Amino acid sequence: MKIDKQRLGNLQKAFNTIAIGTAAGLAVYAIFLYFHIDIFGWNLGLLFAPLAAGYVETKIAERFIGEDIGAISAFILFLVTVAYGFIINNPTLGYNIITIGSIVIIIQAAIPTFINYFGIVVVVGTLSYLTGFFKENMDKLRNYVRRLRNKPEKEIIDTVSLFSETESNKVLNSQNFIYITSTDPKDLDYDILGFFYVTKIINRNTHIMHLSPEKVEKKHLNDLKHGKDECLIKLADEIKELGGNGVVDLDILYFLNGIGGSEFQIIARGMGIKIKEEHPAF
Amino acid sequence: MILTSANTLENKKIKEYKGLVTGESLIGANIYKDLFSGVRDVVGGRTSRYEEEIKRARDIALESMKEKATQLNANAIIGLKISYDNLGGTMGNTILITAYGTAVFYEENEN
Repeated sequence: MKIDKQRLGNLQKAFNTIAIGTAAGLAVYAIFLYFHIDIFGWNLGLLFAPLAAGYVETKIAERFIGEDIGAISAFILFLVTVAYGFIINNPTLGYNIITIGSIVIIIQAAIPTFINYFGIVVVVGTLSYLTGFFKENMDKLRNYVRRLRNKPEKEIIDTVSLFSETESNKVLNSQNFIYITSTDPKDLDYDILGFFYVTKIINRNTHIMHLSPEKVEKKHLNDLKHGKDECLIKLADEIKELGGNGVVDLDILYFLNGIGGSEFQIIARGMGIKIKEEHPAF
Repeated sequence: MILTSANTLENKKIKEYKGLVTGESLIGANIYKDLFSGVRDVVGGRTSRYEEEIKRARDIALESMKEKATQLNANAIIGLKISYDNLGGTMGNTILITAYGTAVFYEENEN
């Protein structure tokens, strides 16, 4: 009950904040209209009123609620200014098919995300689902590209799924070598061998960009995980060569390198150590 | 499972170092989300959708890391590090979130 009251209070504050933001935006719009602050007949209030509303709302919300509430008044002002400036205040506007079309375009401009989502995703998606048009043609296109490249998509994705990060992690921790991220583990008695630094470059596989973004990201993530484990094994090998059996203060870093971000760079670095005796904690 | 960025566990004895555990996740580009965030940046709104996505991705990375620690029979992760790296993408919004630390097994101090 206490939570509900608090939530209700925040909701009330949010409404008040939106109202104040809207009022501020309307005041700015009124000033721009009154003084005819125009460029080639286009009133600048159309631009500055929503910005003022959003700014005032955000500042008040941050002060009294602790976080912003999405600059809703800016969208309200955008709709108001568009409705007044383009529709109500337009003496040449008649009620015909062109007017209705214009209003649709204006609304589309005011709330692009929603309208585009509805127009493209919902309407086109429903039609394509019912007719199967999109899938059928996409399959044809995919097969065509596959034939051109002579590299089956399945092969690429299967290569990805072959890598098991759990198994790889077990291998990583079962090579008589200990990776420690702490700077100075008090429970261990060891000598420091020095600073070690290894790097691994992996291709970003730009040739798979014809795949869906989800598949590309999955491939990239797997490449990065695989590359990271290889980099760590390389680090362990270098330390082992000098008689070490562990690393402390381990850092793993990732960068995007190359022309147009064509490759990922992975760095593993840390202090190589030799644990002095068969320590119970090791 | 105790997670700490510190080197040690207060009032606990580390009995065994199990090894490195890591977790990664990626936030990809989404054209509608990007556009909407761009609009909200202009009018002063916070791009909270991104914050939610980043939190969700961080939770995935942490869970993946904890899962590996459990498989190593560890009951704590020390020296925890979390990093966020921008890896390009269509609008520069592909973010790699990595969490890693040292899996250990501890026992309560008798004193």
